[in-house]
Amino acid sequence: MQSTNFLTEVGLNHYLILSALLFVTGMTGVLLKRNIIVMLMSIELMLNAVNISFVAFSKYLNNVDGQIMVFFVMTIAAAEAAVGLAIAVTIFKRFKEINIKFFEHLRG
Amino acid sequence: MITDVLMFWFLALVVLGSGLAVILFTNPVYSALSLVMAMVGVAAVFVTLGAYFIAGVQLIVYAGAVMVLFVMVLMLFDLKRETHSFAAGKISGALKLISVGLFAGLVVGGIVMSQGYFVKENEKSLGAASATQSVNTVAGSQTNLNVVNTDNTKVLGTVLFSKHVFGFEALGVLLTVIAVGTVALARSKGGTHAKH
Amino acid sequence: MGNDAFEITINLIKLVAVFLLIVQAVPILVWVERRGSAFIQNRFGPNRVGPLGLLQLLADAVKFLTKEDFAPDKAIKPLFYAAPVFALIPAALAFAAIPLSVPLEIGGYVFRIQGYEMNVGIVFILGVSGLAAYTILMAGWGSGSKFSLLGALRASAQVISYELALGLSIVGVIMMYGTFNLTEMITAQQGAMKFHAFGYEITSRFLPNWGIFYQPLAAILFFAASFAESNRLPFDLAEGEAEIVAGFHTEYGGFKMLMFFIGEYGHMILGSSLMIVFFFGGYGLPGITVDEVRSWAAGVTDGAAGASVLTTLIHFLSFTVKLVLFLWIFIWVRWTLPRFRYDQLMDLGWRTMLPWALGNTILTALVIYFTSVLI
Repeated sequence: MQSTNFLTEVGLNHYLILSALLFVTGMTGVLLKRNIIVMLMSIELMLNAVNISFVAFSKYLNNVDGQIMVFFVMTIAAAEAAVGLAIAVTIFKRFKEINIKFFEHLRG
Repeated sequence: MITDVLMFWFLALVVLGSGLAVILFTNPVYSALSLVMAMVGVAAVFVTLGAYFIAGVQLIVYAGAVMVLFVMVLMLFDLKRETHSFAAGKISGALKLISVGLFAGLVVGGIVMSQGYFVKENEKSLGAASATQSVNTVAGSQTNLNVVNTDNTKVLGTVLFSKHVFGFEALGVLLTVIAVGTVALARSKGGTHAKH
Repeated sequence: MGNDAFEITINLIKLVAVFLLIVQAVPILVWVERRGSAFIQNRFGPNRVGPLGLLQLLADAVKFLTKEDFAPDKAIKPLFYAAPVFALIPAALAFAAIPLSVPLEIGGYVFRIQGYEMNVGIVFILGVSGLAAYTILMAGWGSGSKFSLLGALRASAQVISYELALGLSIVGVIMMYGTFNLTEMITAQQGAMKFHAFGYEITSRFLPNWGIFYQPLAAILFFAASFAESNRLPFDLAEGEAEIVAGFHTEYGGFKMLMFFIGEYGHMILGSSLMIVFFFGGYGLPGITVDEVRSWAAGVTDGAAGASVLTTLIHFLSFTVKLVLFLWIFIWVRWTLPRFRYDQLMDLGWRTMLPWALGNTILTALVIYFTSVLI
C-alpha cells in the first residue's frame, strides 16, 4: 500500500499519522499519570493533535472551516486550562499535594 | 521541495519527542517545559501547512498564555519531591497501555487504508483550485497553498464572523462563564483568597 | 530563502547581521544609560577609561568574561544554564521580522533590509516575544533561591497581564491599515497626511501621515505596555532591589548576567521599533514618500544601483534616528519615575489599560464603519 516514496513525499496522511500519534501520547498521559496538572497538560497535547489534523484537512481539502475549528478548540483549551488549574490550586491548598486521588473529596 | 520534506520529518521528530517527554519526565516542571516545546513545534507544523495566522495564534494563546499559567502554578507548588508520578496498579497500567496501543494501531491503520479516498478528494479540490487560479507553479500542492492559505487572514475573519458567528458568540458566553467560575473557585474555601 | 546560491548566502548573512545589530547596540546603550542617568541625577558617571568613559564598556566586557562561572548549590543545573541562552532568542527572533529600510535592488536581485518578510508579522512578533516569560521562569526556578522565584513569579505575571493590553491596543491600528504586514503599514504612512472620510479626501501639508495622529490613545497604551513587557522602570517589580535583591537573576553573575542584560535591551529595542513602525512611519522620512527620495537619489547618483543604495541608506538612517530617540525616552523614563507597588501595577494593567484598549478598539471600529475612513 505504502510505496517507497513514503519518506520523500509528504502528504495528508503524514500529517494525520503525526496527529494520531500525538493524540495517543496525550491519551497515555491522561490514563497513566497521577499528577493532576500533568494530566491537564496531556489533555492539551491531545487537543493540539486534533488541531494538526484540522489544519491538515483544511489545506488538503481547500476549505478554511478547519482553521476556524482550530480557533474554537484553542478557546476551549484555554478555558479548560483555567478552570482545571483553579481546581488544582484549591485541592493543593487543602491537601498539600495534587495527586488525582484527592479528587474524590471534591463533593460539598 | 526537499527542504519541505526534511522540515516535516524534523518537526515530526520534535513534536513527538517532546510529546513523549511530557509523559515520561517525573518532574512536572520538565513536563511543562517539554509541552511548551511541543506547542512551538505544532506552531511550526502549522507554518508548513501554510496556516501562518493560526500558527501565530497558537504561539500567543498556548505558548504565551496557557503554558505560562501551567508553569507558574507548578513553580508555586514546588513539587520537587514528587515520587508517585505514575498510576500504581501494574495490571491496570498494562491494560491501559494495551488499549492505547490498540487505539493507535486502529487509527493509523484507518488512515493508511483510507489513503485512496483522501487522495481522490485532494485531487478533485486541486483541479478546482488550478481551474480558478492559473498560477504557473511547479506542483499542484503549491497551487492549493496559494488559493487557501497564503494571506488568508481576511478570508478567515469573514468566515468566522459570518458563517460561524453563532459559535463565536457561544464562545464569548463560555469565556464569561469560565472567568466568573474561576474567580469563584479561587476565592472559595481553601483557595488563594479564602475568606476566614 | 532565495533562488540561487548568492541570494541564499546574502540572506543568511543578513539574519546574522540583524542578530549582531541587537548585540552590538547593547554596550552603546549601557554607556548611554550610565552617562544619561548621571546627567539626569547631576553626577559624572563613568569618565575615567578612555574619552568620555567610552572604553569603560570594554573593561566591563573583559571583567564579565573572566569572572568565575559558578552555579548555586541548590540550583537545578540544566535550567540554570539554559535560561540565559534562551533569554536572547525571543527578542532577536522578533526583531528580525521588522523592516529596517527600503529593499535594496542591485542587478536584478532584491534584498529586503529585514530578517524575513512575513504576512502576519504582528501576530508572529507578539507570539515570539510572549515566549520571554519562560526564560524568566526558568531562571527563577532553576536558581533554587526564594528571591529568584519571587522575582520570576512577579515578572511572568506582569508579562502575561500586560500582553493583553499590548495586543488589544494595536487592534485599532491593524483595523486602520487593514493589514498585519509591517511593510504595508509603513507604506500606508508615507507622505503628508491624507485620508478619506465620508467620501471626501482630506489632506494636510503640515502633518506627516503617521499612525500617531489616527490612534493617539493606542500609541500611549502600547508604549506603556512595552515598558512593562521589557521589565523596565516604572514596571521593574521583577527586580525591585529593596524587596527581592535583584529578582530572577539574583544568582547570576558574569557573562550569564550579561546575557539577561542583552535580552532586556533587546526587548527595549523591539518595543521602540514596533512603536516606530505602528505610529511613527517606520523607516519613512516625515512627509516625504519613498518615491520622492528615490527620484532625488537618481538625480544625485548615476546608475540604478547607486540610487537604490543611497535610498536604502537614507531610510535606514531615518529609522536609526527614530530608534535612538525612543531608546532615549526609555532611559529617560527609567531615571525619572519611581517604581509602582505591585497591586498598583496589576490595577493599572487590568482595570485601566485593558478597558481603555477595548474602548479604543470599539471606537475605531465604529468610526471606520460610519465615516468609512480610509488611509
